Amino acid sequence: MLAAVARPTTFRDVADALTLLVLLTEFAMLRSSLPRSQVRLYAFQSLAVTALAALVAARHGLGDLYVIAALTLVLKVVLVPWIILRVLRDAGTEVAGSHRLGVATMVLIALAVSIFGFFTIGSMPFHSSSLPTPALGLSVAEILVAFMIVVLRADVVSQAAGFFSLENGVSVVSLVVASGLPLVVETAFLFDLVVAVVVFGILMRVHHRRTDTLSTGVLDRLRG
Amino acid sequence: MAVELAPAESQALQVLTIVALAPLVSGFTAHVEARLQGRRGPRVLQVYYDLAKLFSKETLVPEDAGWVFVAGPIVAFACYLLVPLLIPVLTDFPLPLGYMGDIMGGGFILGLAGFSVALAAAETNAPYAQLGGSRAMTFGALIEPSILFVTFTVAIITGTDLPYFQAAASRASVAAALRPAHLLAVLAFFLVVLNDTARIPVESPASTTEFGMIDEGRTLEHSGPLFAVLRWGSSMKQLILYVILINVFTAPWGLAGSERIGSVLLAIPIFIGKAMAVGVIFAVIDNSFSKLRLFKITEFMAAAFLIAMLAVLVSILGGG
Repeated sequence: MLAAVARPTTFRDVADALTLLVLLTEFAMLRSSLPRSQVRLYAFQSLAVTALAALVAARHGLGDLYVIAALTLVLKVVLVPWIILRVLRDAGTEVAGSHRLGVATMVLIALAVSIFGFFTIGSMPFHSSSLPTPALGLSVAEILVAFMIVVLRADVVSQAAGFFSLENGVSVVSLVVASGLPLVVETAFLFDLVVAVVVFGILMRVHHRRTDTLSTGVLDRLRG
Repeated sequence: MAVELAPAESQALQVLTIVALAPLVSGFTAHVEARLQGRRGPRVLQVYYDLAKLFSKETLVPEDAGWVFVAGPIVAFACYLLVPLLIPVLTDFPLPLGYMGDIMGGGFILGLAGFSVALAAAETNAPYAQLGGSRAMTFGALIEPSILFVTFTVAIITGTDLPYFQAAASRASVAAALRPAHLLAVLAFFLVVLNDTARIPVESPASTTEFGMIDEGRTLEHSGPLFAVLRWGSSMKQLILYVILINVFTAPWGLAGSERIGSVLLAIPIFIGKAMAVGVIFAVIDNSFSKLRLFKITEFMAAAFLIAMLAVLVSILGGG
């Protein structure tokens, strides 16, 4: 891939491929039945986002973006997955297959939703200077699929992972729309994520302590 | 002095290559698979011995079965003889009959073959054969959208859906072959081939459990020469799909650029080598994954469809 980055003509293809990888990982998260593998997929997706940020930084010579890429690597690839996996290990229970619908149905619904996002954004007269235009449509599609994870999965860990991966999609959008954003603002976004992780971590622990399960299926009962 | 082959001769040679060498590739794949599992496995030429043995046996027809039972395997075999005319097996330029059908046309012929085998299975009145036939048709219909969308991607990339043009587009530059739309189309088609050649995760090829059978189940009632024709046909279908995977999508190199007899003949071992390499990949997949439960196969189909659909989307909006 490094050789490909060096050639300016293939920049676009590599960027497209990385954005697609982010979207495909999102679908894989939707499908995968174990929360544990979802968190690993999230780490992989974050790695793709990091690579994309580094690619844009190298292409446009943006020093700030390297810092963001490094922070993304530390936070989203290592720290966040580690924290969630720890919560999972402490809980000691495993929710397998918390799909509300059949996997094939879910994939088709998510596909329809992502096509909607893809064409809605595609019809906008928008041209980015930092990344090829399809990246915007793909990342909006990714955000919508992340929504579908939150909607269609019935356990707290999946929902948290869905939310975090939604943030990944937002990161890609910000790379497309405003890759030259000041470092302080970008760092603030990442700080937001840290806060979200802490909040979700506490919520997961509280939920598990009260209901003895990670599933949200019991939440419609009036007494725990 | 270079002796040139007539176009018709090269074309006949394409069909002959598929007919004569398909059992070799099947046997090789089975051999490698056994080796990977630590077994000694059947000989590479075992499929040929099996075919010879079956051809020397008598044909038994179930009591109530009519002519469809006999005609089905033969029609399927004829279909498999027809498809190599349309695809680049040995030459990188279209032979005279190469324009007779596009990818869809080839797909229809392969579909007709599958249909006639399923019809022969339905004719038997035997539960397992009918089960296999109806399952094969159901899953065939479910995988069809993925094939369509792969074809659409090809059509968007090349402006036509002739296999020779897609092969030329894949050959043109490495950058073009690494475009996201092309990669996704290749991946989707790979999953389609996994399904259509009855490999894991859809079906385990060496299984003897009737309840897990899809494609294998259809042939349970056939015996003797008819069964030989069916087995030969299924290994030809496998090699035909490998041709499309290799010579159209992934590695269309080493094909003959002219009709000189030397280069056309040289293309045969090169192609068989590539097909065997693909066979090794399939054997590794067979050994690394487990078979999906029957009702989970739709998830596999959904994944193939998702990837094919994304290929089309990316090629529409991203210009490939």
